[in-house]
Amino acid sequence: MTIPKVRQHPEHLEWVGKSIPRVEDPKFLRGRGNYIDDYEVPNMLEVAVARSTMAHAKILSIDTSAAEAVPGVVAIVTSENVTDHVNPMPDFGPSPDKHTWYCLAVDKVRYMGEGVAVVAATSRAVAEDAAELIEVTYEPLEPLTDMLEALEEDAPLIHEALGSNIPFHRKFTFGDVDGDFAAADVIVRDTLHWGRSGGQPLETVGAVADYDAATGMMTIHVNSMSFTHFLFLLANTLRVPSNKLDLQPHPSGGSFGAKFFEVKTATIAAMMARITGRPVKFMQDRLDNIANGDHHGSDRYYEVELAAKADGTLLSTRYKVVDNYGAYIQFGVGQHGNSLAQAVGPYRMSSIGYDLTAVLTNKCQQGAYRGFGSEVGNWILERMVDLMALELGMDPVDIRRMNFIQPDQFPYFIPTGNVYDSGDYEAVLNKTMELSDYKGWRKRQAEMRAEGRHVGIGVCTCQERSVFSATEFWFWFDEPVAAPVTSAPESVTLKVDAMGAVTATLYSNASWGNSPETMVAQFVAEELGIKPEDVSVVYAGSNQGMPATGPGGSRFTIMVGGAVEGASQSIRAKAAKIAAHLLEANEDDLVWEEGGFAVRGSPDQRKELAEIALAAHMFKHSLPEEIETGLEASHVQDHPYTTMPNPERTNLGVFYPFVGHASHVVVVEVDPETGRVEFLDYAAVHDCGTVVNPRSVGGQVIGGTVQGLGSTLYEEFLYDEDGVLRTPSFAEYLIPSALDSPTLRVGHNETPSPYTPYGIKGGGEAGRMMAPSAICAAIDDALGIRIRRLPATPERIVEMVDAANS
Amino acid sequence: MKSPPFEYHRAGSAAEAAALLGELGFDARILAGGQSLIPLMNLRLAAPAYLVDITRAPDLAGIGADGGGLHIGAAARQRTVELHTDTLATAPVLSDAISNAGQVPVRHQGTVVGSIAHADPSAEVPAAFKAQGGTVTAQGSGGTREIPSEDFFEGYFTTALAEGELVTAVTVDAWPAGTGHGFLEFSVTAESWPIALAAVLIHTSGGKIDRASVVLGGVAEVPLRRPEAEAILVGSTPSAEAFEAAAEAAAAGIEPLSDSFGSGAYRKKLARVLTRRALTTAAERAGGKA
Amino acid sequence: MSTHDITVTVNGTATSASVEARRSLADFLRHDLGLVGTHIGCEQGACGACTVLIGGRSVRSCIMFAVQADGAEIQTIESLAPGADLHPLQEAFRRHQGLQCGFCTPGMLLRGLELISDNPDLTAEEAREGISSNMCRCTGYQYIVDAVLDAAAEMRAEED
Repeated sequence: MTIPKVRQHPEHLEWVGKSIPRVEDPKFLRGRGNYIDDYEVPNMLEVAVARSTMAHAKILSIDTSAAEAVPGVVAIVTSENVTDHVNPMPDFGPSPDKHTWYCLAVDKVRYMGEGVAVVAATSRAVAEDAAELIEVTYEPLEPLTDMLEALEEDAPLIHEALGSNIPFHRKFTFGDVDGDFAAADVIVRDTLHWGRSGGQPLETVGAVADYDAATGMMTIHVNSMSFTHFLFLLANTLRVPSNKLDLQPHPSGGSFGAKFFEVKTATIAAMMARITGRPVKFMQDRLDNIANGDHHGSDRYYEVELAAKADGTLLSTRYKVVDNYGAYIQFGVGQHGNSLAQAVGPYRMSSIGYDLTAVLTNKCQQGAYRGFGSEVGNWILERMVDLMALELGMDPVDIRRMNFIQPDQFPYFIPTGNVYDSGDYEAVLNKTMELSDYKGWRKRQAEMRAEGRHVGIGVCTCQERSVFSATEFWFWFDEPVAAPVTSAPESVTLKVDAMGAVTATLYSNASWGNSPETMVAQFVAEELGIKPEDVSVVYAGSNQGMPATGPGGSRFTIMVGGAVEGASQSIRAKAAKIAAHLLEANEDDLVWEEGGFAVRGSPDQRKELAEIALAAHMFKHSLPEEIETGLEASHVQDHPYTTMPNPERTNLGVFYPFVGHASHVVVVEVDPETGRVEFLDYAAVHDCGTVVNPRSVGGQVIGGTVQGLGSTLYEEFLYDEDGVLRTPSFAEYLIPSALDSPTLRVGHNETPSPYTPYGIKGGGEAGRMMAPSAICAAIDDALGIRIRRLPATPERIVEMVDAANS
Repeated sequence: MKSPPFEYHRAGSAAEAAALLGELGFDARILAGGQSLIPLMNLRLAAPAYLVDITRAPDLAGIGADGGGLHIGAAARQRTVELHTDTLATAPVLSDAISNAGQVPVRHQGTVVGSIAHADPSAEVPAAFKAQGGTVTAQGSGGTREIPSEDFFEGYFTTALAEGELVTAVTVDAWPAGTGHGFLEFSVTAESWPIALAAVLIHTSGGKIDRASVVLGGVAEVPLRRPEAEAILVGSTPSAEAFEAAAEAAAAGIEPLSDSFGSGAYRKKLARVLTRRALTTAAERAGGKA
Repeated sequence: MSTHDITVTVNGTATSASVEARRSLADFLRHDLGLVGTHIGCEQGACGACTVLIGGRSVRSCIMFAVQADGAEIQTIESLAPGADLHPLQEAFRRHQGLQCGFCTPGMLLRGLELISDNPDLTAEEAREGISSNMCRCTGYQYIVDAVLDAAAEMRAEED
């Protein structure tokens, strides 16, 4: 693929850029969201999963006799016979045959909470009663949760077939790392830990499956899985032909990545539906979701070196990363592609060394969580830049500013091969300084410190990459070197009916707390000159579907924008032919304006879209012969800009090209005796290109920031050394409440992308990708400590204060 | 997460509840607000065979103060007690404790007596009750008896109640004018379970402390009275030094356990900090009243 | 195990039903009455997605058995806008985008309604403290606070 052409964005936009009320909201406000658990069908069974009580153990036997005797129990599948019913789960990881993953544990359990049996019964309560009675005899094996211990020669093996606990190790060198380090005046080094948190949406994952033995059709209603494009993988797991699998999407009560490709729930429901011949619902409860939801976030240990000149010019970063993937590795190491997409941050650095080791342990496996690993990369880099500023005695703002990539340097290729399409980092920083009254706060900080208060200010300047291409699923490996570039497409169908009313059909499971319907309504309104509230947005099941990938990697708004643009062009092209006929004018003399075609220079001679649509639908035989009845168009928007990696993998190509930017300034006061962190001020300025709906982007920024706050200060799936999950419910896994959350002042800067419709860049993950860096810097500043491990819980903060004082 | 099955009974009076408990045996539990019990049942960490609902018994509903203190019936909801003028006048430490316990919707349903009878050593209400002092009225098939708050808590979720007995009411002793209270807890988030807490009362007379009560929560198997701290306080003039010494004494000698919320060492540190701060607040309030 | 005949008034309509003792009020409303606007997030009383009003007071319907609610006046999200128009609080949530995924929204709205009815002049701090009883994983709460304050102002204006 070549570089896409630079777009000329329209000067004036009617609907893009307006904070219209969201199209999605009325149904949610009335409690009529049609969430998956709201969906019930007659004769439906419900499922409960019996989960492992051991972290690592061989399954010797499973006795289901007591469970089978419970009235209302219809079917039970266990570890002993699950492979009779389904194939392994879809797995994008390296060598799936060496760490095979089924919807239930097979032969042995590999983490506390892994499923060992499924009960289908007449109600969830009865299914749970029976699940409690299933007796599993285990032979305990040595548990392993520490990722560094997992590297040792004599460590217990999680998957014997793999022969070690390392499913992936590779050392990447992008640019002249050794040369840059040799040229450095200063090198700072540190070890940093990023703790394992997760999306934990308030709604868990659920599925209702129904198998029709007559047609062979497996229909599954789901609130997870956005990859319409990849559903043949699930068909293989379920042993149904891919054209006999139909997924019906339901809105998700939050995902944040955690439902991105959660397939286990649907697999279990479908398996039980086929066995029982009845519709089956599996609705995870909170315990299932935390312990066995396949979507814990990154869990990493870093040894990092940052090289710079004495004046603060940053040169190169060397990373040695170990990532604790837990028991399986469904997405491979894709979370690190996300880090590498923006590995130099907003700074000019000419090389990157990245030594990556993925390990398997007795924890639940990782999935996606808002940032998909890039938030970790941001935190590491910003931690190191702060350390360099300290080392050089520089102001943390100054060192950032002097290293920024400049506006005239875009498109800017970073050493890993990815491109930053556009940006104005200095403008964002300046806006943030102003919004936060940074100078004023520094003055007040000095006064408050004089009163004995521990007040700190933290600044971060970070990237937000958007719109992944699927090359990052495979560029980790040498082969297939010549594999074609995959696209990760998104599609839409626009139908203008005989009355001129427009329906937009979406093809991925797109509603996750983002605003897909609002975005599409704004785009259609912009393109077809109608009002957003007059657009009807519906979702197609996968069997009627077109290629689509759904929300993930901050891609949806851009991609669906391109799809709407393409479909609208087709609609207008056909409408122009009809209008030309109706107006008895030459098509070339028509201009599209305000939702209709007019003859250039004769604005009275015009046909509205509704008139054209009526003719298109009803009066085919009055129209030129080549015009078919109807006014409908579909468009598949393929990834606009992705290129191949080189064979040596010293350049990964372009895979995450639309790169936003943000700066946060945080003021905290910390109680050194308890470790409590209180927010005195929080300012955030984001640049995600052209903003479609400022209020929605603001909401994403604030919500993402609060999630980032949780990951920074307390959220953690905590396993002890015996592999016991110590945070199995919302009593232990702590989520920020309103009283724990700051009031943000949010600003937007708009540097349009030259390559996307209207110049939009992704913004959905941004808050969480920034907050940890800024908050840690503020706490450090307040107490004179250095945070090296997240979450920085109150207890850990107190320990750091005590260590600094002793 | 659905509760295991059980048999539900509704008692129309304290006597009926006692009779039902006697009849149903050891596997019966009292159901008041259920805000501690039902989560445990949903998690299948508790599975009583019988529940006896006492919230409709008219003789258990009351709340009110007289010379003998503040009387709280077993069916009185936490939120009602928290905001009640008699509580604010007679036992403000209890009001503070309740305001920290759970969220408002939970307090609408939960009861004060239920929290005391549940005897979670980390919970707010038992610690405040023990700090101010009072009596528990227990009723069984053999009649009623009074148990001093000091003797009521025996261990983790364990009380001096005998099998077949229920708590019908508690009485919180009144303290004289010139009393100040302090209640402080530390939790990681505003709505999460406290790691440690301190409930204190001091009474001053002629510029000196003549009575003190210091109770810690979350640091032992019961809400823990700290007599060493109280001994330091009584007879001393309210001062930062006295409070620091008392706080140090309160934390010395406790050996809290570690869990996912915090280590024993951290709890111990918090105990000291919270005690000192609670005493400082209590002294201000005591002074204000004097 | 026992089953019980109960009568409750839900959104103004008296309903009688036979329920298993262990049936939670949330499950009763959702599955037996089809009022699926009451959501279930944790079933341990932590998140507040299941919040309903009983006698005008917010409670967690996931940690209450339906049998305990016998005789009660229950208000669920479905009562707020029975007709075409949204309730002023719902309108304010819409205006301010005080929701994203919508899952916590019914509980937030009912809790917000209670807060405004308890204190029509509530401040931003009081609104924030008030809604801290309910978790929202999407919004970071800020636009919810905005919406509650705005709705309170509007409802005060309507009173005048």
